[in-house]
Amino acid sequence: MNGGGTILARAASDADDRLLSADEPLAGLHRRCGGELPGTIAVPELLDLVRKARLYRLRIARSIFAQDAAEAITAWVEIEPTEEGDGCAIFLRSWHAAPLPPEDTREAFDRRNRVDRLVAELSAQLDGRQRVLAVTSESRELRRLAAAMEAGIGRPFTDFLAAEGRGHSEPLHWRLLDGSHVSVEGSPRDWRIVLIPHGRAGREPSGFELLLVSDEPPPLPAPPPPAKGEGASPQGLVGQDLAPVLRQPIARIVANAETIRSRLAGPLPDAYADYAGEIANAGRLLLGLLEDLSDLEVVEADGFSTAPDRIDLAEVARQAAGILGVRARAKRITILAPDTGESLDAVAEFRRVLQVLINLLGNAIRYAPEDSQIWIGLQRAGDRARVTVTDQGPGLSADEIAVVFDKFERLGRSGDGGSGLGLYISRRLALAMGGDLRVESVKGQGARFVLEVPAPETDGTAG
Amino acid sequence: MLRAELARGDTAAETVLPILRHLVSADHTPLFGDEILARIRGMLEHLASQLLDALAAAQGSRERRPREPEAVRTLARALLDDAALLTHLHALSLEWQLAERLEARLSLDPVVPPLLQALVASPEPETQSLAMRLLGAQARWRQGQRRMQCGLLELPAEQLHAALLTLRSLAVGGIAGFGPEDEQAARAEAALRRAYDESASRIGLAARLVMGLGGAAVTALSLEHGGVALFLTALALGSGQPREAAALCTHETQSARLALSLRVAGLSPTAVQEQLVQLHRDVVLPVGLDRLDANGAASILAGGRYGRA
Repeated sequence: MNGGGTILARAASDADDRLLSADEPLAGLHRRCGGELPGTIAVPELLDLVRKARLYRLRIARSIFAQDAAEAITAWVEIEPTEEGDGCAIFLRSWHAAPLPPEDTREAFDRRNRVDRLVAELSAQLDGRQRVLAVTSESRELRRLAAAMEAGIGRPFTDFLAAEGRGHSEPLHWRLLDGSHVSVEGSPRDWRIVLIPHGRAGREPSGFELLLVSDEPPPLPAPPPPAKGEGASPQGLVGQDLAPVLRQPIARIVANAETIRSRLAGPLPDAYADYAGEIANAGRLLLGLLEDLSDLEVVEADGFSTAPDRIDLAEVARQAAGILGVRARAKRITILAPDTGESLDAVAEFRRVLQVLINLLGNAIRYAPEDSQIWIGLQRAGDRARVTVTDQGPGLSADEIAVVFDKFERLGRSGDGGSGLGLYISRRLALAMGGDLRVESVKGQGARFVLEVPAPETDGTAG
Repeated sequence: MLRAELARGDTAAETVLPILRHLVSADHTPLFGDEILARIRGMLEHLASQLLDALAAAQGSRERRPREPEAVRTLARALLDDAALLTHLHALSLEWQLAERLEARLSLDPVVPPLLQALVASPEPETQSLAMRLLGAQARWRQGQRRMQCGLLELPAEQLHAALLTLRSLAVGGIAGFGPEDEQAARAEAALRRAYDESASRIGLAARLVMGLGGAAVTALSLEHGGVALFLTALALGSGQPREAAALCTHETQSARLALSLRVAGLSPTAVQEQLVQLHRDVVLPVGLDRLDANGAASILAGGRYGRA
């Protein structure tokens, strides 16, 4: 592209607009939007642009807007179709993330109900004592259930739908039934009960709307043949087998715990809401751990290598500081990144260095006190280029320094969202690039992490 | 057959009066005054002749033969059928008229407004080079608008694509001077597609520059500071509307849309009023704007019919 300027991340797509490879932060956004790698581009506006560029065979440059659970993201992307027209190269040039304003709980509740009503495959009207008054369903899988309910109008709906692990002798309180999972005879899918009460808030409901929703799509009439070739990725047990299976149920635990915490399902004593908050946090920790474990497998795999390039460490540092700026500001921490005039050449892979710096900065933000400062320094030392991240946190003792880069080392901390893998992975990455990562610290005096990567041979040669 | 013909005639006859009334009564800055019409016609013909030039170049003929006015007119008429292209050209005309008006009234430089001056002097090399390139594009654009022209490669990708399809379909039928060999049209088309780079177009550069401002993009939402081009881009990005809709809402019949869009894009009610007054001196400010937050404004704006992307 003759656009010039820094490229934050690159990605490539194929003739079916599937993302084949992507650097962070694009890859992360793609995954959080529900995408797989390789898999169809999941960021809606990006997909639209890539499709246009490929079909029109025109180079397109636009801003895209996307949001995940926590942040609203605006980014500038440039898309270049390949000569053969069988895909596109995607260049990410700017990236702004802003935290989303907290959603009004009432609104979130209403929206959830609207979505459930739209995707429900069976809906029924119940009276105040949960007895079926009417039922409709267009699903083939649920036809028998609907017919049985139709025949049994006037009976409690739990006669027809037995929530997992519960008998159906007495009607339970509706809040206990709402959201519970049931299996339906004749359907291989897992179903969720949604009960929407009618009547005035705060009183016993005068009736309910019962929806049966499945989070799995209905089976396709003719399943497509399995994708060829793509399956043979060098990922291991976690990345390939476990992570995709675990991600969804854990995400569901987090979402349900959040629902309880925000009292969407009704009033609740504070202590219980707090428990739910802890469940949600624990779930998030598990999700983070899962990502880390997938990364771990990649860096520990035989033949893992990086793609070194001539990069500007100052630029990487500024990018990292920009990406974590919001989180730092939330704790009123100032990140002092290199000025725009500064630069320090190095031979390393841009996105790997960015990954390491984001990890180091993330740790610094997590453990440093509020209103403190974090410095990012640059240094050339012989044939090495150095980035240092210095914080005003509690620091590390000599014993702790000895083990801080070990796998699963938590230094006695727990419950703060760390997995004990970040520094281990970062160090492996630094070593793979022909560099190193170490720490200098005195207990109580902050910590200084030093990332070293090779510098270009002589400064005089034109890069 | 005759009945259908009559019905079409009826429709045409019914629209004569409202259009005539609008054209005659519009005094100062009509949405489709004579100048706007001439400008759109001029730009359409310029686009058509650039497409024909590309066709001639693909034929490999060295000597530049004069374009046949008949072919230019035919192609321009065909391009007129594309509503999106027409909207884009209309928006460009409105943008130009606004730029001229502000130059006369506030002596605002249509090429280098204060914000662009500041960006050109930026210590950051990337911003500085972007700003310089936008400056160049703005100067070319001003020159083009004075001649009622529009660069083919300055069009947004969708509109260029549609224009190329129009060329293709006409070339297959054979346009005056060119045989119905579609291979030649295909070559011309491929060459244009290769040459195109949206990020280098005036609108692309403006969008990237405004994006690069990040949170400071609000500074472009002042006409006298940002200038018309960056103002429209920032307004479009900030309010989530196409740039064409942003251009249209600077017209005096659209002050409610403008007020809402500015509010959505993040201006305070006072700043919105300032912009409105700057644009139309005797504007009647919409009532209740100060009680409306950005979300409320966005939801009203989304309820409007025009300009939904």
